Amino acid sequence: MLFAYPREFRFEYGSEMTQVFCDCYRDSNSRGTVGELWLRVILDVIQTAPLERWETLRKGETMKNVKRDALGLLACLAITVVALLLLGYGRKHEVGSILMFGHALDAIVTAGVISNLIIFGLMMATQRSTFRTALWSLLIVNGALLLISTLIGSRVDPSFSFPTIFIAYLVSFIFWLTIHWLWSQIRTPTEPVV
Amino acid sequence: MARERVDPEKLLPLTSSVFHILLALSDGDLHGYGIMQEVSEHTAGQIKLGPGTLYGAIKRLRGNGLIVEVDERPDPELDDERRRYYRLTDFGQKVLKAEAQRISKLVSVAQQKRLLPKRT
Repeated sequence: MLFAYPREFRFEYGSEMTQVFCDCYRDSNSRGTVGELWLRVILDVIQTAPLERWETLRKGETMKNVKRDALGLLACLAITVVALLLLGYGRKHEVGSILMFGHALDAIVTAGVISNLIIFGLMMATQRSTFRTALWSLLIVNGALLLISTLIGSRVDPSFSFPTIFIAYLVSFIFWLTIHWLWSQIRTPTEPVV
Repeated sequence: MARERVDPEKLLPLTSSVFHILLALSDGDLHGYGIMQEVSEHTAGQIKLGPGTLYGAIKRLRGNGLIVEVDERPDPELDDERRRYYRLTDFGQKVLKAEAQRISKLVSVAQQKRLLPKRT
């Protein structure tokens, strides 16, 4: 539940809040009122976490990063749109050099849209390190899409080739990871990483 | 100090939780859980501060110079050294007094309106 609070607040008071909760839990356990404690704590988080987040946003530094991240998200979407257009053009005009990378472009578009929206959402919610969030989100999304493509493709497409799909999602993973790594290098360096 | 030049009245009225936290610290230094227990005791269990409310208030009180964190511990032998203790500052004392007076005036008005019995 501590992740509902801004990073700076967690860094300053997180361990103390945990200790206070443990003290309260011990106390409530001996009185048999653990349920009441949980309810009180959940209501307390709902009431106070948005206030702390709003206060942190008002301070400005986080806001700067929010703006940069929004810009980053737009850049990611622009890359996705370009890849999509390129793929559409290649298929329409049967451009061999583009179609050769067709599966990879497909993977870049699909994984790009899903994972970048997830990454942006997670960064807004948790304000955790950009690169680590991106790494895990990309790994999970690309892995899940590879699994889905394999399950569906092997049943409906007679020319389905697992190595091709695997390479496509590997290329997509490396491509987006590189973009996020470059992005994390230009993000506010003073920001503490949790 | 710069805080001393700030008029305590400017920070009034205090929120209920802040007033009770300052009141708890007026008897001496306390850690977070100690403050919680003291507030619960003062209010006969009517106000039970949650960790978020408590530390949010502590953050703002420290920021406004009403309380400070102290290194000294009442009894280091019996205490967990990970706990942090807080102390009411002189400015915090002034703000607490000003709030108590404000509430006292409200009580007087309520007494004049016969909502409360007058003290003998």
